[in-house]
Amino acid sequence: MKHFLLFLCLLLWALPGRAQHRVTGRVESAATHSPLPGASLLLKGTQTGTMTEADGSFSFPSVPDKAVLVVQFLGYASQEIPLSLPLTQPLVISLEEDATALREVVVSTGYQTLPQERATGSFSQVSAERLQEQVGPDVLSRLESVANGLTVDRGTDARGRLMVRGLSTIMGPRTPLIVVDNFPYEGDPASLNPNDVESVTLLKDAAAASIWGTRAGNGVLVITTKKGRFQQPLRVEFNSNVTVQDEPNLWYAPQMASGDFIDVEQLLYARGYYNSTLNNVTRPAVSPAVEILHARARGTLSPEAAEAQLAALRQVDVRDEFSRHLYRRGLSQQYSLGFRGGSAVNAWRLGLGYDHSLSQLEATSGRLTLHAQNTLRPAKNLELSTALYFAQGRSTGGKPGYGEVSMLNGQLYPYARLADDEGNALPVVKDYRQSFKETAGDGRLLDWNYYPLEDWRHSRSRGETQEVRADAGLLYRLPWGLEADVKYQYQRQQSASEQHHDAQSYLARNLVNLYTQIDPATGTLTYKVPRGGILDRSQGLTEAHSVRGQLNFQRTWGEHELVAIAGGEIRAARTTGHSARLYGYDPATLSFGQVDHTLPYPMITSGRTSFIPPNTGLQGLASRFVSLFGNAAYTYRGRYTLSASARRDASNLFGVKANDRWNPLWSAGLSWNLAREPFYGWALLPSLRLRATYGFSGNVDQGRTAVATITYRPNLSPFTGGPMAYFANYANPKLGWERTGMLNLGLDFGFRGDRVSGSVEYYRKKGKDLFGWKQLDYTAGIGSSVVTNAAAMVGQGLDLELNTLTLKAGAFAWRTHLNASFYRDEVTEYYLGDQQGSNFISTTPGVSGVEGRPVYSLFSYRWAGLDPATGDPRGYAPDGTPGKDYAALMGAGVLVDDLRFHGSAVPTAFGSLGNTLSYGPFSLTARISYKLGYFFRRSSIHYSDLYRLGAMHRDYADRWQQPGDEARTDVPSLSYPANANRDRFYAGSEALVERGDHVRLQYVTASYAFPRAKGKKMPFQHLETYLTLQHLGLLWRANDRGLDPDYHLGRYNLPPARTYSLGLRASF
Amino acid sequence: MLKNLHKLLLSLSAPFLLGCDSFLDEKPDQKLVIPSTLTDLQALLNETDLMNHQVPNAGEISADNYYLTDADWAALPREQDRHLYVWAGENVFPPQVNDWNYNFMPVYVANTVLEQLASLPRTPANSLDWDDVKGQALYYRGHHFLQGALLWAPAYDARTASADLGIPLRLGTDFNVPSVRASVQQTYDRIVADLREAAALLPTKRLHPTRPYRVSAHALLARTFLAMGDYRQAALYADSCLQRQSALLDYNTLDLSAAYPVPQYNPEVITEHFAFGVNPALQESLARIDPALYASYAPEDLRRAVFFRPNGDGSFAFRGSYGGGAPFAGTATDELYLIRAEAHARLGNVPEAMQDLNTLLVTRWRAGTFVPLTAAGPEEALAHILRERRKELVLRNLRWMDLKRLNREGANITLSRTVQGRVYTLPPNDPRYALPLPDDVVALSGMPQNPR
Repeated sequence: MKHFLLFLCLLLWALPGRAQHRVTGRVESAATHSPLPGASLLLKGTQTGTMTEADGSFSFPSVPDKAVLVVQFLGYASQEIPLSLPLTQPLVISLEEDATALREVVVSTGYQTLPQERATGSFSQVSAERLQEQVGPDVLSRLESVANGLTVDRGTDARGRLMVRGLSTIMGPRTPLIVVDNFPYEGDPASLNPNDVESVTLLKDAAAASIWGTRAGNGVLVITTKKGRFQQPLRVEFNSNVTVQDEPNLWYAPQMASGDFIDVEQLLYARGYYNSTLNNVTRPAVSPAVEILHARARGTLSPEAAEAQLAALRQVDVRDEFSRHLYRRGLSQQYSLGFRGGSAVNAWRLGLGYDHSLSQLEATSGRLTLHAQNTLRPAKNLELSTALYFAQGRSTGGKPGYGEVSMLNGQLYPYARLADDEGNALPVVKDYRQSFKETAGDGRLLDWNYYPLEDWRHSRSRGETQEVRADAGLLYRLPWGLEADVKYQYQRQQSASEQHHDAQSYLARNLVNLYTQIDPATGTLTYKVPRGGILDRSQGLTEAHSVRGQLNFQRTWGEHELVAIAGGEIRAARTTGHSARLYGYDPATLSFGQVDHTLPYPMITSGRTSFIPPNTGLQGLASRFVSLFGNAAYTYRGRYTLSASARRDASNLFGVKANDRWNPLWSAGLSWNLAREPFYGWALLPSLRLRATYGFSGNVDQGRTAVATITYRPNLSPFTGGPMAYFANYANPKLGWERTGMLNLGLDFGFRGDRVSGSVEYYRKKGKDLFGWKQLDYTAGIGSSVVTNAAAMVGQGLDLELNTLTLKAGAFAWRTHLNASFYRDEVTEYYLGDQQGSNFISTTPGVSGVEGRPVYSLFSYRWAGLDPATGDPRGYAPDGTPGKDYAALMGAGVLVDDLRFHGSAVPTAFGSLGNTLSYGPFSLTARISYKLGYFFRRSSIHYSDLYRLGAMHRDYADRWQQPGDEARTDVPSLSYPANANRDRFYAGSEALVERGDHVRLQYVTASYAFPRAKGKKMPFQHLETYLTLQHLGLLWRANDRGLDPDYHLGRYNLPPARTYSLGLRASF
Repeated sequence: MLKNLHKLLLSLSAPFLLGCDSFLDEKPDQKLVIPSTLTDLQALLNETDLMNHQVPNAGEISADNYYLTDADWAALPREQDRHLYVWAGENVFPPQVNDWNYNFMPVYVANTVLEQLASLPRTPANSLDWDDVKGQALYYRGHHFLQGALLWAPAYDARTASADLGIPLRLGTDFNVPSVRASVQQTYDRIVADLREAAALLPTKRLHPTRPYRVSAHALLARTFLAMGDYRQAALYADSCLQRQSALLDYNTLDLSAAYPVPQYNPEVITEHFAFGVNPALQESLARIDPALYASYAPEDLRRAVFFRPNGDGSFAFRGSYGGGAPFAGTATDELYLIRAEAHARLGNVPEAMQDLNTLLVTRWRAGTFVPLTAAGPEEALAHILRERRKELVLRNLRWMDLKRLNREGANITLSRTVQGRVYTLPPNDPRYALPLPDDVVALSGMPQNPR
């Protein structure tokens, strides 16, 4: 670089003409007056420039008259200084810190840091400030409401799945790749302390992401942690907050009224439905109401007493019991302390964090984090960086929540009482009939009751995780604009958990009782599972080594600039783990008992034999990864940039031929900085830039094996003593790659005074050979479906990000931040011939494969209302006649074209809008998010599941009961015997499809910054207190059934409860 | 510095230069293996729950050992379950998860083993294990082809077998190969060939009742030839079995207070198989023993107490399992005595036939009460044997096969069931004796459905 500058200077010397002056000076921080090394200085309108030295000094040997000096430094507001030459004394240029400048200037891909103005790809950055508007122990959950082009899909996965620009693969891993400080992050993202995060960059298009290879198919999140800076005095930052979380709203769950449920049980009892269960030799549990009905039928309970007992049960709602006896308000605290500083030769930061939370169910979790980072410049051309990240987490399990106490099959009768009027724990029927438990073994067995209010104290789980991440980097500046960059990272995660079910726990008592053998002659009891507690322990360790060697090149000559990187990376990770169970465990003496797992023993319930479960396992996983990558960007006149990148990846995919392991990817891009064109003179819009990229990525399914692979079981066969193995993957040699090409067009703009700035991006992706499930003739013996290349698609969308200073009057300012995304796709080609309508209707949407329709389409059976005579659901046959031959309505005669098409099953428009009002030290931010233009299928009563599993739905109360009801309801009448086809038809019908559109109030945060009184020496630079409210619920929804479209999958899926946080931020 | 850097870069790129393949050959999961060694193949066959305990039970559900009450019939979870009980002849299997699927899964495992063995050299050092593994694979394939033929094909009739629709004989692992129904003749030829080859390869000593040995293959051959009506071969193979394993359990020694008085792995068991299906009709709490069948046991016949448990309402549940309470569908010596007896009777060898029958029955009666049966001629002997076969092999997954073959021989048995006042009948040799293929299999494969 320096040689080149010298060359430049020489060139300038040679220029004849005007008067030339020598200019020297120094650039410093306005706040601290410390020097700013590495700031760039440019003579406006020329290519002449220089950089400041370590002490902030600079010099221009020759400057013409009337020159204007442009001074730029990352994180500081740029300045233009008209020079009056000759100078009488060296210039002192003081730059003001500017957080927005920092956000807009550079983006990080994890491989390189690029000035955004030269990036051709689609990068969207979320700053630390924006992340700080929310409170919570992890980073990822905060992104949902603030990142552009990102949404969380809760329509196909109840736990929520981060999605960047729609789904790009169906079968492969669907979560975006998370990169922390240059390397893919293998650990639990929840262990990252958000207070250590400087920014998050989202890589959205193929050009931005292609550098990460195959793993980038779902987008990349690059998390950059805070770093120290050279020449910076010690700075201390402190942040602490306390959060209270409300109890969850259990009444959101579609539970049936207890009275209704008992009515159904009475009806089923009268029809003999429970006969087989009541006669069953394995003694499956039946609910208290069924026991009462049975006792009445056998004459052991008088009809009056039975009626009175049932009437009492009708009054109980188990949600009251959970709310009263188990749920509390949650409480969490967060503390973080950060130090940073730097001299001319080093820059460092130390971050400490402590989090603790007590959940609504008294589960605790604590996390201690330490983050130390240091960059050293021992020689002029050498930079050494090291970082250490340490996190320690501890957690203990809490009480059982709603949906976690079950009688059988994961379901609980809705009139369960957990405590009596005095608050004493009551037993809940579990696993076996209560009447059997009370009489089994003539009272010589252990108490067999299950007390949900007490049991959690006897079955406590404890977990501990430790994570260490160590980074070392070496950067050596070679001549000719070359840099050699070597990075190494070591990651280690260790986890240990144990669940101690003590002798009083239900789990231990149940197993001991189940395998108690009673000698019929002598009555002697022997215990095949020793009495005492049971200890389950598991441990896991993951270690990963990554090394990357990279050459960076950056060179400017004349009007040309070339930036390029090329390198290779290898990565090896190994995970080992084991889990084991000890029976008859006594923590006081550390003794445990012996169990024979090789012989089947008769169980006391039925006398049938079974093996005692060993619950022991070992794990050994390894991942190996090799890649070669390179990219280059050429800029001409600071206006035109051309970029290209390519990468090849290989990993240790098993059972795949060596040639199939390598996955090539490439991308190319262009950008045009229009505002820099000489003809551009639009002062209103001083910043305007156009970008275009195209890239190609592929995805290979893990199941694409040329040969079948098998997995060994952890335990030997109890029968023959030999090892056992089952198929992991069936040979599927015809499966090809999934390929996606993506075009991205972007426009970045900034109006004068930064009143409005932002970007608009249009993208179009073309997917070929997308994976989908193909129904398989299961005569082949490998199941009923197989992954295949099913369809081709095109998708297009628009991402808009806008920052505006909407209003500014004196100390009052109103700023707005808008993220708006639109997405539409359609299937262009479908390779499977399957057109049967019922194959396009499922509870969770898959690739629907209808040409011209969205990739994730919602179809339903056309609805002809309820039969006025019987309340049976009716549909339309293809010829338009209403009917209720369900097998035909869902059979081969009804094609997908005969179904009702509603629209996309994933949002076609989504985004968020944040408004910040500030007045002097006061600031108030509120952010809403929205998802629009899609449909979801709500759940309703499913009579087969109600009878068989006790699966409830409150729609039962609205069912058709008498002629005329069909005018007010679509809920079918109760039918017995169960007709699963009738239930399936209703579940897939038009009647249950709702618009998913909704607007949510994500958070509101208010803060007050204590002013620094002028002249007074305050002990802090900045002191601010804030109040944040999160999970505030929906502002609007299109459905009128009170459903939150993000929380409708599953019977116990509740929206998160509101949180209130109060905090303090300070820096010294 | 530069020199060191050079070295570092060189060492970094070494894996690229020296071939990444060895680096990338590390297995992602230590438990993952490409099946290739005899140990791997044996491990696949050791999946007892898949290989032994997945015998389809739709035939026994369709047979006449038991009945359901109207309430219990109505409580069956799927309409297909209710259809199967009344011989609806269509829509008797739910899609995807059904007896057809369960029956063909072990066939895939067997085919994998056989394909891998083809490229695994048999050497003097491994020959014993090699033969054993191949024998097991052929045994399991033959067994499941036989189960399939008994359910989805009509009774074997030498006159029409070449034209009758059998089952698809999948002999490889490529799922892209379409399924085609073989003829009944081809189906039984394959079953016999597989089992004969298995018998030649399997060891003569048994490791465990869940592991097939030579006798296991001979027992299935005896059963197959009985189903085909080839009594000479049936007698021959039953005889080879009983030469090696002939022990019978004296029911006088059983503990009647136990929930399941017959011990698991008792000396009669040749190979343990369990029946399995999604249809719960045969659960002990549902299936009530046919009253006429129960009434056919003499008071001194211990089987009455060993096999049946009173439900308390005058009806009886079955508890005579040979599998510790699980529905036994394997082979045992009692069945082989009955096969040999029947075959002898049909071949006219009355004394041999009656001797086998009496040898068995004396262990079934209260000690000292059994009077050996006698027969004046083959017909009487056969009548005795078939009556005792009915009483001995209750809910052993054999009755459907017997109904098919006996009706073919002219037994003229009409089945009848009354559900909610409606009477359903299944006349002898009705086409519904070949159960319909699952509808989705027909739709996906294009194979012809059984005629109605």
